[in-house]
Amino acid sequence: MLPALDPVLHSPLRLAIISLLFTVESAEFNYLLEKTGATRGNLSIQIGNLQEAGYIFVKKSFRNKYPLTTCRISPKGADAFRKYIETLKTYFPPGT
Amino acid sequence: MTERESLRIITEMISSSKSNLRENTVFYLLWGWLVLAASLLHFILIQAGYRHAYLPWPVLMIAGTVVSVFIAIRMGRKATVRTYTDTMMIYLWWGFFMTVVILMSFAFSGRLSWGTAHPLIVSLYGLGTFVSGGVLKFRPLILGGMACWVIALSAFFIPADFMLLMIALSVIVAYLIPGYMLQSKN
Repeated sequence: MLPALDPVLHSPLRLAIISLLFTVESAEFNYLLEKTGATRGNLSIQIGNLQEAGYIFVKKSFRNKYPLTTCRISPKGADAFRKYIETLKTYFPPGT
Repeated sequence: MTERESLRIITEMISSSKSNLRENTVFYLLWGWLVLAASLLHFILIQAGYRHAYLPWPVLMIAGTVVSVFIAIRMGRKATVRTYTDTMMIYLWWGFFMTVVILMSFAFSGRLSWGTAHPLIVSLYGLGTFVSGGVLKFRPLILGGMACWVIALSAFFIPADFMLLMIALSVIVAYLIPGYMLQSKN
């Protein structure tokens, strides 16, 4: 039986967010919104879920009087993403 | 979500977050034209026998620094993402700037001749261009950086005044040509 994939990451939007944050140092809410094509509400919820799991750090601040949310991946999130990829590989045996 | 969908999402997101090469173009073009103008004007003023022939340098370099800081702040405000490449570039070019300032202060104080300072500065921006090219995986910058080292070594064989023309050549190959190629690439 194949190993189970991390349920926190095994959701399209959460996986998209963590994939983006894995490759950059930090990203603002609007960047994630543009790249994932998600709705504001859904993105907010999934960012909250990833933060709750300890996979990302979220910083709330202000720029020109507007609220600004900046996200970055945590070491725990980066490890979880690497593990997810390793597990995912087992689903695709060499040559498939 | 199937495993194949997971794979597609990861691939799509990672490839979409690649650094935008074009963002850096403005700095290569700005400094390329400023250094080209300063070195050529310096050379022409020396030939014309003007006493303060070096003046284009402080004027244009200070102007370039002010404009660069202004552009960088504006770009920073607009940017919604910060990549590891962005951070590396900031540290690399600030490091370059500080080293050049130190070198120039020795040259201005007379403790280092300009005949030595010029090729050292050219090889330093050769280093910056070479590393930037390697990080951005953009061959014209890598070759431009290498060309700077060859040009710096040429100082052994040419009179000091003519080194100004070699500086002009170095920014054409290291900044302007790669800068315009970057601009047309994206």
